[in-house]
Amino acid sequence: MSALGELQRLGTSKGGPPRKRDNKAAFLFLLPWFAGLLLITAGPIVASLALSFTDYNLIQPPEFNGLDNINRMFSDERLHRSLGVTFIYVFVSVPLQLIAALGLAILLDRGLRGLAFYRSAFYLPSLLGSSVAIAVLWRQIFGAEGLLNQILGIFGIAGKGWISDPDTALSTLIVLNVWTFGAPMVIFLAGLRQIPVMYYEAASVDGASRWTQFRKITVPLLSPIIFFNLVLQIIHAFQSFTQAFVVSGGTGGPSDSTLFYTLYLYERGFSRFDMGYASALAWLLLIIIAGFTAINFWAAKRWVFYDD
Amino acid sequence: MSNGISRRNVLSIAAGVGAASALAACGGSGGDAAAAVNTETPVTLRFTWWGSDARHKRTAQVIELFKSKYPNFTINGEFKDWNGYWDSLATTVAANDAPDIIQMDEMYLASYAERGALLDLGTASNHLKTADIESTALDTGKVDGKQYAIPTGLTAYSFVVNEDLIKQYNVTLPDTETWSWEDLRAVGDQISKASGGKVIGVQSWGFDTGSVNVWLRQQGASLYSPDGKVAAPPALLAGYWQYLLDLAKAGVSPQPSITIERAAAALDQSGMATNTTAIGTAWNTQLTSYQAASGQNLRLIKIPGESKVGTPGAYYKPSMYWSISSRSKHPAEAAVFVDFLLNSQEAGDVLLTDRGVPGNKTIRAALAPKLTATDKAAADYLDAIKVGPAPRVTPNGASGIEAILKRHSEEVLFERKTPQAAAESFIKELQTEIDAA
Repeated sequence: MSALGELQRLGTSKGGPPRKRDNKAAFLFLLPWFAGLLLITAGPIVASLALSFTDYNLIQPPEFNGLDNINRMFSDERLHRSLGVTFIYVFVSVPLQLIAALGLAILLDRGLRGLAFYRSAFYLPSLLGSSVAIAVLWRQIFGAEGLLNQILGIFGIAGKGWISDPDTALSTLIVLNVWTFGAPMVIFLAGLRQIPVMYYEAASVDGASRWTQFRKITVPLLSPIIFFNLVLQIIHAFQSFTQAFVVSGGTGGPSDSTLFYTLYLYERGFSRFDMGYASALAWLLLIIIAGFTAINFWAAKRWVFYDD
Repeated sequence: MSNGISRRNVLSIAAGVGAASALAACGGSGGDAAAAVNTETPVTLRFTWWGSDARHKRTAQVIELFKSKYPNFTINGEFKDWNGYWDSLATTVAANDAPDIIQMDEMYLASYAERGALLDLGTASNHLKTADIESTALDTGKVDGKQYAIPTGLTAYSFVVNEDLIKQYNVTLPDTETWSWEDLRAVGDQISKASGGKVIGVQSWGFDTGSVNVWLRQQGASLYSPDGKVAAPPALLAGYWQYLLDLAKAGVSPQPSITIERAAAALDQSGMATNTTAIGTAWNTQLTSYQAASGQNLRLIKIPGESKVGTPGAYYKPSMYWSISSRSKHPAEAAVFVDFLLNSQEAGDVLLTDRGVPGNKTIRAALAPKLTATDKAAADYLDAIKVGPAPRVTPNGASGIEAILKRHSEEVLFERKTPQAAAESFIKELQTEIDAA
C-alpha cells in the first residue's frame, strides 16, 4: 500500500523540470520494448481479431463474412476432435509432469552431493523438450524400428509403431511433455528452500511422520509455487505444437489421434488456405486458456496458502 | 470464366509489381514477363521443388549448366520432400515471399492459379517456348483457359515388383499382363508366408490419389465430375478400403502402424526402397529413385485388373509442372530458366525421366538412346499400357484430398470406421472443402 501511495504521489505531483527529464529517459528506454509490443504482438493480435470475421485464403484480400466462422465451429467435427485430444493432453500430462517435478525437487532438496549437476541434468530436457530435434528423436525412439522396440525385442516382446498407432500416439507425446519436468522442478526447488527448516524440526520433535510433514508443512507452504507452476504449465500445454507437428508429420495423425488444437489451427490456416477461420480458432483458444486460468485463480482461493 | 479472370486481374494489380506488369503484357504493351532478359547485372532467382535425393542431385547439375550460359544468374534451390513442401509453399506465398520458380502438382494447380498466385505463362511467350510440347500435355496446365503451368512430363500409376525378393522366396509371379486383384492378394500372401514375415508381400496404398483414381476408373466411375464436384460412388470407395483392410488383416500388407509410418516417411524409407516389401505401387518414373534406394532389381508391372475391365484405370498424369510466381520480380528471367528446363537438350540429358517422360517431343526422341535401364523401363511402361482420358484437374479447394484420404485410410486400417462409413465421410468432407473455396 505504501508503495502504491508513493506512486500516486509521484503521478499527481506537479513535477519540476528534473523529474520531467527522468520520465523522458524512462520512455526512451521503454521505446524498444514498446515498439516491439506494438509491431510484433499487438498489431497481429488486432489483425487476427479482424480476420476472424472474414473469409481469407491468404492470396486474395479477406472478405467480411460476419459470424460464419463462429457458426462453423459448432458443426466442425474435427475441431471438436482436436479439443478432445488437447484436453486429454493437458489434463493428463500437466499433473503427471508436476508430480514428477515436485518429487524430484524434494529428493534433490535433501542436500545431495553434486546437486548442481543433477539439477542441470534434470533441467536440460525442458530446454530441449519443445525443440524439433527432440521431436525427431522421439520419432526414432517410438518408431517401428526404434529404440523402444529394440529394447522390447531383447525381452522377446513384439513392438509396433508406437507413434503411428492411434491408440498409443498421444501417449508418446504425453511422455515427452512429462519428461520436460525440469522447469517446474527448478521453481519447486527454489520454493522448497524458502520453507524454514525449523518447521520440520518442530514437527519431528512432535513425532510427525515424513508423510505428515509433507502434507501439513510442505504442501501448504509450497502451494503458491504449485499454483504458479500449474497455471503456467496448463497455458503452456494448451499451446503445444512442435512435438505433435514433427511426430505426426504435420497431420495430427494417425487418424487424428494427435490433432492438437494448434495443429488443426495451423492446418486450416496454412494447408487449406483458410486463414479467416484459423484466426477465429486462435481467438477461441485464447478464450479457452483465459477461461481455465480464471477457474484456476478462483479455485486457488480454496487451497493456496499465502504465508504473509 | 471471364468473371474470375477480371477479378483476378484487379487483385493482382493490387497485389504486386510482378503481377501487374504481367497483366500489362497481357494487354500487349509489354511488361516485365515479356521484357528483355537481364544478362548484365546480377539476378537472383529462387527455385523450389520436392523430390528424392536423386532428383536433388540432377536438378543441382542442371542449375550449374544454366549458370554457365547465364553467368549473371544466381539460382537458389529450395528442395524438400513431398510431405513438407506444400505447407512451406503456402506459408511463403502468404508471406508474399514465394519462390520465383515453383514445381507444381496437379492437385494444387487450380488452388494456386484460381487465387492469382501464378503467372500466366502466355505473357512470357517471348522467352518460354512451348511449340515442341504436345498440346494434350499443355492442356493439362491450363486453368480457365490460361497456361498457368507447363507439365514437365508424363507419368502413369503402376505397380513395382522386387525381382530379387521374388526369386529369393521362390514365388512365381502370375502373368502381370492379365492379373487380377485376387492374384495380387494371393501372390502377396505367398511372399509374406515364405519369408516368415521378414518381407511383406504388398506395400499398402491408400495415401495417394492415383490409387483411388485407378480403382474408380476401372469400374467406370471417376473421383470428380467435369464441373468439379465429388462424384465417387460411396459403394466403390467402400470396396477400395475393404480391399486394403483385407490385405492388412491377412498379413499380405504390413500391420497398420508400419504402413502408416512408411507412408509418412520419404520415398527412400518406404518398404520398396528398403527391400522389406516385394510389391508396391508407384508412379512409373519413380522407378529410378526406388531402384537407387533399394539396390535390388525392381521392375514395373501393370496394375491388376486392367485386362478385365472395359474402361482402363490407367491414365497419363502430368507428373508435375513448372510454374512461376505471379509476384516474381524477375518473371522474364524466370521464364528463361523454365525454358531451359523444358526445351534445352543439355537439361534434358541430365533430368532424363526423373520428372516424367518429357512432354517435349524433340527432347524425348533425342533422349531414348541415353536412358539408363530404369529410365527406359519407365518410358516403355508408358507405351505399353492402355489408358483412358486423364481425370479432371483437382478442383480449387480439394488440394487437401491426400490428407483427407490418408486419415480415412488410417481409420479403416485401425478399424475405427467401416469402409462404408469411411466412404461416406470422405465424400462429405471433400465436398465441403470444395464448396468452401
